[in-house]
Amino acid sequence: MDKKTKSPLFWPWLPAAFALAGIILFVFATFGPPASSSGFVSLMKGAVQTAAPKYVENLTHYAMMPDTGSWLFAFVLGMAIGGFVAGRTGRIPVRDIPEIWEKRFGNSRIKRFAATFAGGFIILFAARLAGGCTLGLFISGSSQLAVSGLYFGVLIFAVAMVTSRLVYGRTGKEE
Amino acid sequence: MGSEIWLGLFSGIAFGFVIQRVGATSADKMARAHLMIEGDIPKFMLMAVILSAIGLLGLETAGVANTRVLPTSLVATGVAGILFGIGWGFCGYCPGTTWAAAGEGRMDAVFALIGGLAGTAVFAHLHEYLIPLLYDPFNVGQITLVDWTGNRPAAVMLLVLIFGLCIGAIHLLWKGKNGGQAQ
Repeated sequence: MDKKTKSPLFWPWLPAAFALAGIILFVFATFGPPASSSGFVSLMKGAVQTAAPKYVENLTHYAMMPDTGSWLFAFVLGMAIGGFVAGRTGRIPVRDIPEIWEKRFGNSRIKRFAATFAGGFIILFAARLAGGCTLGLFISGSSQLAVSGLYFGVLIFAVAMVTSRLVYGRTGKEE
Repeated sequence: MGSEIWLGLFSGIAFGFVIQRVGATSADKMARAHLMIEGDIPKFMLMAVILSAIGLLGLETAGVANTRVLPTSLVATGVAGILFGIGWGFCGYCPGTTWAAAGEGRMDAVFALIGGLAGTAVFAHLHEYLIPLLYDPFNVGQITLVDWTGNRPAAVMLLVLIFGLCIGAIHLLWKGKNGGQAQ
């Protein structure tokens, strides 16, 4: 690898993968398979049950998940704290609109925020249908040699690659 | 508040820190990975799985692993994978990265997180209708690679081989060899 004059902004992928695997194994030893889309369910359950306890009781999807007083919610809350600390102590620029999006669609915040709201809606709807997300199904599942995780993994990478080509079109090619 | 909460919080902080530092919370970097411009995020993910699978074999031998294999539903897992890929390719976030990116201060991730909560609520409302329709009839059970190879070490070797080949393919086919930072 050729050395650049300034130190790289991002951690190189290989040592970072060792760090992440260490955390994943710690989670397997102290809790169970790591998951993050479940944290969304825990938060919604906690929020909705204060307003409409009867509604939450009658729904299987909430009944099968713990509320906010759980490892699952503590984990996603921790991720936000970890992201905050890493962001404040590092040099990676924080933007509200990604560069590539701005090149393709301009700098309208409303457009970008509406797009991520829609994207977030779709990925969580899908993750709850499958029973997990990139972490809870693909990474956790594949580490346990589960066919569900591998099957989901192949599809999400392939479809995301096609989608990004359709979304970014020529902007992607010009890079 | 049991120790479970503190373990979850600690694990989450460490996880969020690492994925921010490697660039996985940047939707720009994620889009460039999907567009085959930068290979380091997918390499990072695949390598983390390889190392976790090997480590998990050790944890299981030591008897300290808490595993739970999710079943494969040919239709539900498949439809969900396709929908998830559309959302991921479109916005550049996945459920875990929205939390870390929102904590980092990316406003678009905050909206992805709110959208995710709405998607969760809608799915929870439709669970009784969708799971019997799409999941249960096509559920082939908690199948793993061990069902084909016969024993765990051989299945781990197979996984390491497949994922290793994928990392090699990304290295060859994605444009930026040095994390795309060299262009």
